[in-house]
Amino acid sequence: MISATDSLVGQIVKKGLGFQLTLLIIMVILTYIAYYLGKRGRVWEIRPLEGLEAIYEGIGRCAEMGRPVMVIPGISGLGSAETLAGLSVLGEVTKRSTEIGVPTLATASSTETIMVIEAMTRNAYTAAGKPELYEPGKYVRWFGSDQFSYAVGAAGYILAEKPGMLIQVGYFIAEIPAVAEAGARVGAIQVGGTLSSMDLIAMFADYIFIGEEIFAAAAAITQDRIQIATLAGQDWIRLLTIGILVVGMTLMATGSKVIVDLLGM
Amino acid sequence: MSSSIIYVRTYLTRILLIIGCIATLTSWYFVSPHADIVANELYNWNVNIGTFSLFVGVVTLFSRYLKDISSRKEQWEYKFLGVVLIPIWVIMGQTAGVFSDLYQKAYFNTKITLHVAILGQLMFFMISGAYRTYRIRNFRTLLFASCTLIIVVCNASWLMTPFPIADKISYWLLNNPSMAGYRAMMITGAIGAVVMGIRILLGLERGALRATEAR
Repeated sequence: MISATDSLVGQIVKKGLGFQLTLLIIMVILTYIAYYLGKRGRVWEIRPLEGLEAIYEGIGRCAEMGRPVMVIPGISGLGSAETLAGLSVLGEVTKRSTEIGVPTLATASSTETIMVIEAMTRNAYTAAGKPELYEPGKYVRWFGSDQFSYAVGAAGYILAEKPGMLIQVGYFIAEIPAVAEAGARVGAIQVGGTLSSMDLIAMFADYIFIGEEIFAAAAAITQDRIQIATLAGQDWIRLLTIGILVVGMTLMATGSKVIVDLLGM
Repeated sequence: MSSSIIYVRTYLTRILLIIGCIATLTSWYFVSPHADIVANELYNWNVNIGTFSLFVGVVTLFSRYLKDISSRKEQWEYKFLGVVLIPIWVIMGQTAGVFSDLYQKAYFNTKITLHVAILGQLMFFMISGAYRTYRIRNFRTLLFASCTLIIVVCNASWLMTPFPIADKISYWLLNNPSMAGYRAMMITGAIGAVVMGIRILLGLERGALRATEAR
């Protein structure tokens, strides 16, 4: 009976992906429970994210100094989760800074990302009741799809516009030094977060989002109770993963390969 | 009327997003030729939109540069160069072909040379950044700078002779604390990305979808 069920599952689910799929379903359920509890009024406190506090302060600093904010959501396209996190941060920063009259500048390497940023900027100005201040190409610049043409263009843009705060949240690789060094030269507060080249971001940015904090920041920046609730679900999944790691290590130490077989089912 | 169109557009985008997500997940996890077809179709759309947006990008660049050149704005000379060179590359690619000797030679002698120049500059940026990062201000930064020094020693062969133990310490640092930290970031990052995907599907986090919202 078990083998019949196994062969049926084997025909439907691709080989070696059974555990991944089960974990994904558990993740969806846990996140939904957290979302549901949040909707029912449960409030979760999250620890303050250093980078987020810096962003709130940075916008005020830019307003006082009369300098713009610059947000860069990385060099990847819309298929990257890091870019989407960067765009969430960009959307909220644009909304907040536009309300208090601070221009938000942005650039990216991917053309599809640029088009989205342009539309987001236009919407932010409209939502703030200042559609007349929006001008296509004024706040969002594109310097080519190539990684280094973007980097050199962004560095020049920073040197010309002298932003008071430079936020780099998204997918970045070796071009970070060129852009961040320009930010350091104009005395901008730098906030950074990525998964791919964390070492370089940590080297140049004043405040960083470490690892998954970029995704948490994308939710927490809105200060929306329900979005923050989903972060609790994320923590439960993390605990589950730690549990699997600990059980796996213990079983491996005792010579059992149960967990390895389970992961590869 | 206008607001109705915007609402329809927003909901159509979300429906497309959900279809895309379900089709991609289904084709990834399950044996389903139908899901594969939908996922491939949406992928092709994505490629087409990407190509079209590149075209829009070039046209926008041209219109802005031409405006700046005609009004002799700051650095108009560089923009003039861009306006002249872009069509030359397009014509060369169309006539000689992108894999022709002429095109490849021109490509390697310009873009790759510029890349190398930028990579050379990155080294100086890194030194400047390293100077700010590795200044010892407290115990934590002392520990950080010490670990870095060991890795630096390990990468400089002339320093390895007086400090042969640096090699072992360096590998231990890279294979244990560094590797563990990197994997922790990757695992939690993947969890964060999945949860963000769920938030987007639930309509909580709008991110890029803000672009489709009310004007």
